[in-house]
Amino acid sequence: MNGARRRLVPYGLLGPGAIWLVLFFVVPMYYMGQMALRSGSLATGGFTFTWEWSNFSDSLSGHEEQLVRSFLYAGSATLIALAIAYPLAYAIALRAGRWKLLLLFAVVAPFFTTYLIRTIAWKTILADASPAVDVLKFLHLVPEDGRVLATGGAVIAGLTYNFLPFMILPIYASLERMDVRLIEAAKDLYASSTKAFIKVTLPITAPGIVAGVLLTFIPAVGDYVNALLLGGTGQAMVGNVIQSLYLQQRDYPEAAALSFLMMAAILVVVAVYLRLAGTGAFMGEEEEAK
Amino acid sequence: MSNATNTTRVARPRVVLAALLAVVAVFAIAACGDGGDSVGGGSDSGTEVAKSGPVEGEITISNWPGYMDTGSRNTVAEFQDKTGVKVDYVEDVNDNAEFFGKLQPQLEEGKSGGRSIFVVTDWMAKQMYDLGYLQEIDHATLPTVFDHLIPSLERPAFDPDRKFSVPWQSGMTGLMVNKKLAPGVKSVNDLFDPQYKGKVTVLSELRDTIPLMLKADGIDPSKASKQQWLDEIEKLGDAVDSGQLRRFTGNDYTQDMTNENVIAAIGWSGDTSLIENPDVEWRMPTQGCILWSDNMVIPKGAPNTPAALEWMNFTYEPKVQADLAAYIQYVTPVTGVKEVFEQQGKTALANNPLIFPSAQFTKNCTTQPDPPGSAEDQQEVTNAFQDVITG
Repeated sequence: MNGARRRLVPYGLLGPGAIWLVLFFVVPMYYMGQMALRSGSLATGGFTFTWEWSNFSDSLSGHEEQLVRSFLYAGSATLIALAIAYPLAYAIALRAGRWKLLLLFAVVAPFFTTYLIRTIAWKTILADASPAVDVLKFLHLVPEDGRVLATGGAVIAGLTYNFLPFMILPIYASLERMDVRLIEAAKDLYASSTKAFIKVTLPITAPGIVAGVLLTFIPAVGDYVNALLLGGTGQAMVGNVIQSLYLQQRDYPEAAALSFLMMAAILVVVAVYLRLAGTGAFMGEEEEAK
Repeated sequence: MSNATNTTRVARPRVVLAALLAVVAVFAIAACGDGGDSVGGGSDSGTEVAKSGPVEGEITISNWPGYMDTGSRNTVAEFQDKTGVKVDYVEDVNDNAEFFGKLQPQLEEGKSGGRSIFVVTDWMAKQMYDLGYLQEIDHATLPTVFDHLIPSLERPAFDPDRKFSVPWQSGMTGLMVNKKLAPGVKSVNDLFDPQYKGKVTVLSELRDTIPLMLKADGIDPSKASKQQWLDEIEKLGDAVDSGQLRRFTGNDYTQDMTNENVIAAIGWSGDTSLIENPDVEWRMPTQGCILWSDNMVIPKGAPNTPAALEWMNFTYEPKVQADLAAYIQYVTPVTGVKEVFEQQGKTALANNPLIFPSAQFTKNCTTQPDPPGSAEDQQEVTNAFQDVITG
């Protein structure tokens, strides 16, 4: 290979990804961006491009509550998913022995059914007179005259359930790669199990946690299916508002503007989070950490 | 290691430059396109009349779920056998506004997404027609339809000459009630009784829910003012805040009624067949119901209009319609169906007031109205209603 060709190789490798990004990210973003700056209505001659920046403030006014709610629901779902996923991934990676593959399969198996059907199934499981809800009432987790379906709790539970594998798999991968002799070494140095976990296991698996949190949180914030099917009145998330703006109110510019604002809000949250968690952990540079 | 780092360091600015160039190129290409033009706002090509001709080939029909009898000998199969036309029957209309939203960019370009017919409710058909998205129909090409269309549907206000719409089925919006758990629900106002708190749903269709509430308050919805619509929406908002209303629903309230999560709801007359609970029945509200039709329309750009017209004629043959009506259980728009049921000895169907409502039965009912006023006034009402739904 001569020098010129060698220099071209990276571009060739970038090619498919770059084309994909341009076609399915940059182009739609462009159209969404210029839709967000239009004014008018479908009934009165359509939407014209007028640099209508007020769409952004208009789309936010009256919808702050749903925006906050989205981050609250998605944040809760992410924390609960983390609390469930870490012990589970730990058990599968380090304690499952020959059951490892089967257990991993069990984690992924629900994905063989579509997202929508799985969520609708929860409507039957959590129906007011269902055995599941009776048990929750017996345990006093749900008040005697209360319900689970059509509450914020049901939406958070749905989000947690639907995105749980995205939390388990990265954490599992980081635990699987961990050298267990490091824990033994820590114990040889008189660390308690708890201390060994905090000083050794947790830092090594941090990249898995960071990745899992992002993979769960980002789709959960934008989700609208769980709120639509499992939620009731007063539980709409930003996704539901965008859907209503676009399909019911036919205010395409405001829908586009709100989509942009939500994207920006997620970007900020993720940036702050990565800053705190450290990009190094996310990029998988734990080698240096050691 | 250091070598690799060097390469990335050198390559990075170039990659960024390449990416920037790509973005600029995309903007330039897109700007040459429709950058400044208006998006939406109707098709300007003039009127078009659905052409008749030899019946052959294939057609795609979009309809609502539950609007077609099932089995290998159903109406679609019969039509295919009789005419040799291959029918792709798709149940992809779930909500008027949503269907419109999905299809609007194509309709705007004079395309129908391959569909020859789709079925939408009166007000949506009218909006599509006003935007120039629909073909007109020549009554001479639809002899069976206009021989058998029931008189009460011949001159609806939204399409007085039936220029662009042919009813598929009609229906009534009223109360769906679990008679064991909520025996007392007789008026739409009873839905707001605190004893049913959290066990009540209403439809997310503005033109069903609000007019019914207006009627319950003694206001004629066809003459109600914008403020009266907004007042009812506010009342709905209060019911959301107090936890009285469980959800806003489309067809999915049928599942909640089957499971007894919901014991009283605003619902559509034909849906009892979808609710697997013997205690649930459709009730005519004491102050009357809302009447509507779902209509077959032919969009501009529809392929194979001769076969589409033939399909309309076919479904208006009383014997064919009888099979449909027996399954769908909504109000049939075709005359002579009752007689077919009587001949077949199906007296229960022939006497079902939800399929053949008498004038006495529907005496207090109102044809589904639009919110009053200009397009902007209507938009204001729509937005207020949506704000309550996504509250």
